[in-house]
Amino acid sequence: MTKDLSTWLDTLLSELQGIEVRRKSSRRIRVDVQPDALPALLELLRGRASYVHLSAISCVDWIEENEFELVYHVWSYEIGSLVSAHTRIARNPGVYISVYDIYTPAAFFERDIHEMFGVFFEGSPDMSKFILTEWDGPPPMRKDFDSEAWVNAHFDFQDYQPDWLTEIEAKGGGVAVRPDEQRFSRRDVDAS
Amino acid sequence: MTELIKTPRAGETLPVTAGKRTNPLANVFDELVRFAQSRSLFMLHYCTGCGAIELPPAMTSRFDMERLGIQPMVSPRQADILLVTGYVSVKTLKRVILTYEQMGSPKYVIGICSCTVNGGMYWQSYATAKKLNDYMPVDIYIAGCMPRPEAVIAGLRELMENIRQGKADSWKDYYRHYDHYLGHQQRLFGETWQTPTDVISEARHYGLFGPDTLGTHTALLEQHQKPLEALEMKVDIPELTARR
Ligand code: SF4
Repeated sequence: MTKDLSTWLDTLLSELQGIEVRRKSSRRIRVDVQPDALPALLELLRGRASYVHLSAISCVDWIEENEFELVYHVWSYEIGSLVSAHTRIARNPGVYISVYDIYTPAAFFERDIHEMFGVFFEGSPDMSKFILTEWDGPPPMRKDFDSEAWVNAHFDFQDYQPDWLTEIEAKGGGVAVRPDEQRFSRRDVDAS
Repeated sequence: MTELIKTPRAGETLPVTAGKRTNPLANVFDELVRFAQSRSLFMLHYCTGCGAIELPPAMTSRFDMERLGIQPMVSPRQADILLVTGYVSVKTLKRVILTYEQMGSPKYVIGICSCTVNGGMYWQSYATAKKLNDYMPVDIYIAGCMPRPEAVIAGLRELMENIRQGKADSWKDYYRHYDHYLGHQQRLFGETWQTPTDVISEARHYGLFGPDTLGTHTALLEQHQKPLEALEMKVDIPELTARR
């Protein structure tokens, strides 16, 4: 039964123009699709192939190619399989259409991606702030956001040369590797 | 333990030494009060981070915190100890400060977990505040990721001992150096940051108004401070009414 369905799905997908289908395993299919064809594909998967559950929309920032990759993961309870539809949109201005009318839960994921990556989804019911309600910096998950520079500008760190530590060190104890020597960023600085 | 002071002649003022009352009996009484205080602690466990998971075992039958006279309490008004159990995000920190200011004095803060000491494994995160003692005075830090219940209890016992000896008075520091703490808060939350508590008046009330209570940051606070008003009640949700 399941095998029949997946064969049927493969045939269905192969009929479509301009998409690339890769079967990763018996239960996972990766589909790469142009951004203008993605809503049609999702419509088809939902309406005719029982993929009724949108598990997540994830976003990847390909900063060197100046693109965002959006991945729509849809799940079918009947076939027990997951289709990941990948599409790439331009990083600038970073606007895409909402799939809220196909999958209602998309509103939640789109709002999240808007907040974390700054991608705007046209037609999404609510693009207001969600988790980072008190955040006024740039979208923090973008690759060009330097988290460490932001941290250094906004916070102070504990002093690791306090008086009580010298006492402990005199007795032979103490901090083995100080955190500021251990940090990745610092290691690069020292190496170069 | 206590020393008798020479009775002053008429017209002379009583010599007052800092921290000790001149009435010899008052000292005995103070010590008794401090002992009683250290044996009856109500803690508010504001479960900010993952370290909070070590508190249920510390409180319940195996380690049984109550045998030390420490009990969990649900509201800040009735609590003595504020436990900050783990990373505080910038958003949470605002709520932690609000909670801290609502507690009645004397009050004690315990920072549990490495995250409250220095950001812990979130040192590089844009959302996590490092160094809790920049924003409020911390009595005791219990480091570890996460500290075992034994460590939590050891920390609490140390606090009890400090209270008994009259050394745990960092809460006074908040009043005496309010400008310093407010400065750090403003740096993070913006210059319009304010809480409903009037810390400056409280400092006057407790007799803890010091030279560092007021400063540039409190001046800034005064500029932006809005008077307290009751919250407006709204039941209108436009998205819902429009769709109907
Ligand atoms: S120190 Fe470790 S256990 Fe504690 S809040 Fe941080 S990450 Fe969690």
